[in-house]
Amino acid sequence: MATFELYRRSTIGMCLTETLDEMVQSGTLSPDLAIQVLTQFDKSMTEALENQVKSKVTIKGHLHTYRFCDNVWTFILQDAVFKNEDNQENVGRVKIVACDSKLLTQ
Amino acid sequence: MAASTSSVYVNVIEDVINKVREEFMNNGPGEDVLKELQGTWEAKTMQAGVVNNPIERSAAKGTPGSGVTPVHDLNVPYEGTEEYETPTAEILFPPTPLQTPIPATPIQTPLPGTGDNLYNIPTGGSDYSANESGSSNGGVNAETKGGRPSPYMQPPSTWMNHRPPLDVNIAYVEGRDEVDRGASHQPPTQDFLQMNSGKRKREDFPAQYQAGGFIPQQDGAGDAAPEKFEIEVSGGSTSIASRAWSEMLTRVRSSTPKIPQLDGPIPDPYDELSTPNIYNYQGTFNEDYNVASTPAPHDIPVSTPAPVVQNDVGDDDDDEPPLNENDDDELDDVDQGDELNTAHLVLAQFDKVTRTKSKWKCTLKDGIMHINNKDVLFNKANGEFDF
Repeated sequence: MATFELYRRSTIGMCLTETLDEMVQSGTLSPDLAIQVLTQFDKSMTEALENQVKSKVTIKGHLHTYRFCDNVWTFILQDAVFKNEDNQENVGRVKIVACDSKLLTQ
Repeated sequence: MAASTSSVYVNVIEDVINKVREEFMNNGPGEDVLKELQGTWEAKTMQAGVVNNPIERSAAKGTPGSGVTPVHDLNVPYEGTEEYETPTAEILFPPTPLQTPIPATPIQTPLPGTGDNLYNIPTGGSDYSANESGSSNGGVNAETKGGRPSPYMQPPSTWMNHRPPLDVNIAYVEGRDEVDRGASHQPPTQDFLQMNSGKRKREDFPAQYQAGGFIPQQDGAGDAAPEKFEIEVSGGSTSIASRAWSEMLTRVRSSTPKIPQLDGPIPDPYDELSTPNIYNYQGTFNEDYNVASTPAPHDIPVSTPAPVVQNDVGDDDDDEPPLNENDDDELDDVDQGDELNTAHLVLAQFDKVTRTKSKWKCTLKDGIMHINNKDVLFNKANGEFDF
């Protein structure tokens, strides 16, 4: 199953990466195994998002920058408004990074 | 939502730990190290405030069953009802099983070995042709999908006829429509023979997509003469409206006889089928960017300002200073240093990204948002942006 490494940049992914880094540096973990764990994280995170998350969000804002490179869209929004069912968040500046969903299904 | 984010994260951690356990036990460092990994990971996520402390594993158990709604590709099948979306290879030839039998229709199937293979090359490597030809009858049909009847052909043709007369991209479409018109009911080899004949009509546009495999060769970036292309790039990217700039542009052009790669990647022959309309630039009223392997059409060429800077001294008589790095948006600099720290970040997958004039719409799914120090997960997100 193809996976994205995209989600490693999330908080939970960064926490895992830091943990693995520390453990590899201290010698308790081999780099190979650390990579396996990360790959597993990619899969688990993707599955969890698909299966356990149902919420819907709308995003509005001023598009400051757009970029499409290597099948990854990057948007930088200004004065963005994120709305979901129960609340709304305003952000002065936010970056959206999105991989092509079809790459996973192929 | 924060609570469910936490529980999803807890599930993910457990899932990862469980699935790598075997590896740790067999030839790895063993259960203790795995426990250490889990402990540290959980501690860090709690510290970051994205997982509730203490971890409510019971609550976490409840969630998995609740949301087993699979997320489908929203583009398939294509229903071009809402906005006048430009059809793309992805829409016209969605990589679904539904579509796959169609390429085998004999009508448009060129005889194998009639020379089609010459033109077969560009189409072969794209995601979609690979996908579909693999599931149909093999490589021979890869190029026939361009001409095959498709249920998704109709919507584009209706809006195409309503297209406003705006046509800025003559340089890019040159020769393309002839090809397309020829392609709709003839074997692809015909297209090239008719390339330079006839006149173009906007109404022919839908046919362009039927000729999917051959569009990019004629659409500009790859085959435009360097001089011509540069004018497009300079004018388009820097929004020069005044004719006063034309002289400078000429100078710029002469000082740099050729600007390679300014428009992003030169279209790779293997990408071409999947990138039918990316080089339509301004001429297309509405564009769709959902194509895999599509180089960014609108990225402002980074190196464009450079030659202008070289001409700085010579342009004293101009009212305005020539374009240079100072013209860059200040915020661009902020991007570099800030984006790691500001932490407002959305990580997701995109289903669809479209643009109509300056209005962008995108459909995202399976995302993690980190906004205002909170992690919020979403299954689906619709974005509407003004550029």
